Amino acid sequence: MEITFLHSSDWQLGMMRRFLGPDGQARWGQARLDAVARIGEVARETGAAFVVVTGDVFEHNQVERQTILRACEALKRIEVPVVLLPGNHDALEPGSLWTSAQWTGHKPEHVTVLTGSEPLEIVPGVELVGAPWRSRRPLSDPAAPGYAELSAAPAGTVRILLAHGQLTSLSGGMSDVPTIDQAALEAAVADGRLHYVGLGDRHSTTEVTERIWFSGTQEVTAPEETHPGNVLAVTLTDTAITVEPRRVGAWHMVEHHVELDDEESLTALEDWFAELPDKERTYVRLAADGSLPLPLLSRLDAMVDAQGEVFASVERWAKFWTVRPAPDAADLDALQLSGPARAAMEELRQALASGDDGAGAALTLMHRLARDAG
Amino acid sequence: MRLHRLTLRNFRGVQDRTVQLPSIGTTVVVGDNEVGKSSLVEAFGLVFDLPDDSKSKRIVDIQPVGHDVGPEVTAELTLGGRELTYTKRWLKDRSTELTVVESDGRRTSWTGREAHNEAERLFAEHVDPVLWQTLMVSQGQSLVLPTPADAEPLITAVTAESGTPVDGASMPLVSAVEHEYLRYWTPRGRPTGEYAKSAHAVEAAELVRAQAVKAMEEVQADIRRAERLTLDLDDLSTRLAEHLKSVEELRERKKATDEILLRRDSVRARAETARARLENHTRTRVERERLLADVERFTQAAAEFADRRIDAETVAKKAAETVHAAETALAEVVELKDARRAEVQTAEQKVAELTDRAELDRLLGLQTELVEVRSRIAAASAVLDGIRVTDEIVTDLEDARAKVVEARAALAAGVPDVHVRRVGAEVVALSGTGLDGGGSPVPAELDEGAEVSLLVSGELVVGVPGQVEVTVRAGGEAATLRSLVDEAVRREKDLLKRAGVRDLPAARELLRKGEKSSAELQEARRTERSLTSGGDPGERIAVLCARLGITDSEPEEEEEPPAKGKQPIVEDVPGQMSLFEEFEEDTFDFDDLVIPAAAAPGDLAGAQLLLEGARTEFATAERLLADAEFAAAQARKAADEDRSEAQQARARAELAAERVAAAEEALDAARTVLPDDQVEAEEEKATADVETVLDELTVVQEQADAAGADEVAGDLADALAVAGRLQGERDTLRDSLRTTEGRLEQSGRDGLATRQDTAELELAALRAEYEGLNRRADAARRVHETLGRHRAEAQTKYAEPLQTRIEALGRSVYGPTFRVWLDDDLAVAERELEGARLRVEALSTGAQEQLAIITRLAISHLVSTGDNSVPVIFDDALGWSDKGRLRDMGALLGRAGDHGQVIILTCMPERYEYVPRATFIKLG
Repeated sequence: MEITFLHSSDWQLGMMRRFLGPDGQARWGQARLDAVARIGEVARETGAAFVVVTGDVFEHNQVERQTILRACEALKRIEVPVVLLPGNHDALEPGSLWTSAQWTGHKPEHVTVLTGSEPLEIVPGVELVGAPWRSRRPLSDPAAPGYAELSAAPAGTVRILLAHGQLTSLSGGMSDVPTIDQAALEAAVADGRLHYVGLGDRHSTTEVTERIWFSGTQEVTAPEETHPGNVLAVTLTDTAITVEPRRVGAWHMVEHHVELDDEESLTALEDWFAELPDKERTYVRLAADGSLPLPLLSRLDAMVDAQGEVFASVERWAKFWTVRPAPDAADLDALQLSGPARAAMEELRQALASGDDGAGAALTLMHRLARDAG
Repeated sequence: MRLHRLTLRNFRGVQDRTVQLPSIGTTVVVGDNEVGKSSLVEAFGLVFDLPDDSKSKRIVDIQPVGHDVGPEVTAELTLGGRELTYTKRWLKDRSTELTVVESDGRRTSWTGREAHNEAERLFAEHVDPVLWQTLMVSQGQSLVLPTPADAEPLITAVTAESGTPVDGASMPLVSAVEHEYLRYWTPRGRPTGEYAKSAHAVEAAELVRAQAVKAMEEVQADIRRAERLTLDLDDLSTRLAEHLKSVEELRERKKATDEILLRRDSVRARAETARARLENHTRTRVERERLLADVERFTQAAAEFADRRIDAETVAKKAAETVHAAETALAEVVELKDARRAEVQTAEQKVAELTDRAELDRLLGLQTELVEVRSRIAAASAVLDGIRVTDEIVTDLEDARAKVVEARAALAAGVPDVHVRRVGAEVVALSGTGLDGGGSPVPAELDEGAEVSLLVSGELVVGVPGQVEVTVRAGGEAATLRSLVDEAVRREKDLLKRAGVRDLPAARELLRKGEKSSAELQEARRTERSLTSGGDPGERIAVLCARLGITDSEPEEEEEPPAKGKQPIVEDVPGQMSLFEEFEEDTFDFDDLVIPAAAAPGDLAGAQLLLEGARTEFATAERLLADAEFAAAQARKAADEDRSEAQQARARAELAAERVAAAEEALDAARTVLPDDQVEAEEEKATADVETVLDELTVVQEQADAAGADEVAGDLADALAVAGRLQGERDTLRDSLRTTEGRLEQSGRDGLATRQDTAELELAALRAEYEGLNRRADAARRVHETLGRHRAEAQTKYAEPLQTRIEALGRSVYGPTFRVWLDDDLAVAERELEGARLRVEALSTGAQEQLAIITRLAISHLVSTGDNSVPVIFDDALGWSDKGRLRDMGALLGRAGDHGQVIILTCMPERYEYVPRATFIKLG
């Protein structure tokens, strides 16, 4: 037999990103829903029999009603059965939205929430087992309850494990909650208890083994993510498996480091901005180092401010924003200032030279005012 | 620029006038009003300003009224090292001529518009208009303080001197900085505008965020609580289920043992009934015994009380008799006491009577003495009343006697002393007047042998009848002497008559007697006073007599006045009084009192002894009476007690009898129910029944114990209690869980997490905005502060040269404490004198004018070294300065001339008479 289904995770509907600002936030939030709708299209294109979402469908259990209702609307755009797994963000804990009237009252018929470990035959011959998070602080391997008790799948039955959490191998031991034992999973896959393991929690699309995958988030959430914005189209046959990432995300989050020392470097930055696609759907986190003459510094500020208007958001990455004004005598002469004004500027210049950053800002301002006044 | 010569023709009121000005030093141009002083200044201005074809009103105004002539001005001056002669005529025969002589002597001339343009160019090139306006003070402007900041020559001078370049170029920057600063800060340095708003917005957002976070923390807490509750609930439910199992087992066991227990209960019931019956019979027996005992006890008691009653009544009777005896005895003692009291009274009367008698006798004695003393007083008083001689009278008599003797002696010496002796038988007859025989009478005839010696103060006729008659007549003062003698004699007689005595010796005797009687009288009065000191004995005698029953023997009216015969006489003194006159009012006659013989003193003593005795007796009687009364009271008390005793005994006896009757009645009643002999039999039967049923009970109990029936029930009860408790706990847990889940669902509906994220998002946005503003605000403040500081320093330094000069000049007028401060326009803003610093507006008009002049001179001094210096021109100044200041200002104006051209136009030259080395030019 052959079965195709879609694997997605970490929709985290209701998530907010402070660096986007109110307007960017609104558009990005909508984009995450649009991506869900596009999963529906992919399902149609690929003839997927069902869709599984392995955890963190929602950002919190206490998201606002609007988010839940819009999620339900988006889910309606997927025409095949959808199975959702509670993750650490939307754990099946007391007060969980999965048991709330807001969800149960509006949930589309074709959507199932995996609330237990007992196998679910989503379509004939396909058995879904899952390990929903019942608390944000599980005491042991969060995937284990999904398959620990299982024996090999009956002949002719494809068994898919839906789980959520970090892999011991990928977390680097940094995770503060219990991780998923990758070796155990691989063993389960090897001995035929599982045919595919769909994992969630990692936002970048990641192939762990041929049959163990993180689908990654449907729409990018941070510049650090390497391959976000995909849904996995998984096709299983009795013997083989193909997993095809299909892009559904529309946004970009970019982190850019530049060294600015002269006009060329500034121009280079301007070009870099110019070349970026989908500007209105792109967030840039800009880190800059170096020192610029006052006129160039003013130009840099102007440029960044202007790009901020064009892009969804351009953030001066405070932690790594160390561009200093480097006023030389020529700058000051150019202003043709004399007397006290010149003396004042000179004083600020020297203060800056001796490492007084406040003086830098003051100097830049004075330079601008003098230039505009002159 | 230096002005050398200025010629005006047909210029206003001036027909043709040339003024020659020294190119250096101070020149005072003097002229009355309307002679055209101001025209000079005006003309100089016009010649450079307006071309000759100008129709300007300024030109029209200078044409002399009613004369169709062209006003003309010729100015000769040095400008930028060139010598200029510049003539211009307007309106009529217009012309312009300019001749310029270069420093190297080259001469160039222009005419017409060219001349005008060239002159204008040179003027503009070498005269800074601001400086020119500053230093040319036209009429009425002398008070205006100059603001020379834009005067280029001045700027060049101060810059050169201070080394500080003028900063005019950066003024737009200054205002831009100020504007930028005020965008974020108030002038006092508090945040304002969008900066302040942003700070508030951040605070508000932080508050909202804090609330949202708190809400979410509560949600987290609820989630943990719910998890815990769920675990507890599962655990408890398990325990409850297990427990309920054991409850069921117990119920089964109990069913089995209940039958035995039922039986035991019925046996127990019967046992109870039997025991009750036995108790009933026992009670009956005990009651019967009690009744019998009562009858017996009460009967004995009744007998005893009867005996006591008889005894008590006997005792009471005896007591009554004792009382009677005591009261009789008491009556006797009372009588005895009365008798003794009577005796005491009698004795007291006797003693009183005797005492009165003794007192009466004493008083009578006293009275007798008093009578005698009073007679002495009367006698002495009588004698004194009879004597009218006093010491004065005796002295007068002695004086009168001496006068008589003296008068007589004078008479004897002054009148003839005639001695007549009868020698024969013939009758010798004597007659005449004023004859004095020395007191012896003058005989009418002398006897034979008789002789007489006579003092004749009148006329003596001695005759022998028939024979001779001799007449002797006293002449001269005889009559006067005689009258003196008569006068003296008469006075003596009067005195004797007043004294009631014959002659002086008698008078003296009488005076002595008077003194004696007076002494006696005083002594007698003293005695009388001592006798009556205890009151008048008469009254007390009367009282005592009344008390003793002594009365007068005769009625008073028969009293006779005492016989006159008893009166004592003062010899030769008429008018004597009666001794008894004092006693005429007396109403009591002692002599007639019938007074019994005085009792012997012994009687009184005896009477007092008797009285003592009687009193002792009386006291004894009183003691006896007290004793008797006490005895009687005691007897009465005892009798009362015995009587009540008897009454009680009687009452008790009667009560006892009643009790006996009652007891016997009760006993009879009981016996009718059950005779005495059956009572015990019934009790024994009941006892036997009880023992039987108790044996039965023991058997059943053993069966129950064997089956543990009692424990099962207890265990079941305990188990049910535990089950109840567990169920209670489970319900409580369930309720808390429901509540918590309810809260959580609500928080889900409220979208608290989204709220928190939104709050975080907004806060982040606001913070970012605030930090941006904060950076800009700090930068603006830093720039503002730095630039401000540098400007202040520069300003001070830049103004220094002018300030120094103004102060140097000022001190020569105001002294060493004079200081000034300049503002940005180099205008004097404040002045300090004697430590008092004032804004210039606050200075007096005079001081302001002086300061204005000093400042101009200072400016002139500063720029004097440069090519572009201009003359200082004052049109009528120093109008407000007093003489003292005029002197100092004059000196100043004089010195100012050393550095340049100073021109003063005035109509009051005296104001400037103190200007040293000044050139005075008088305009006629």
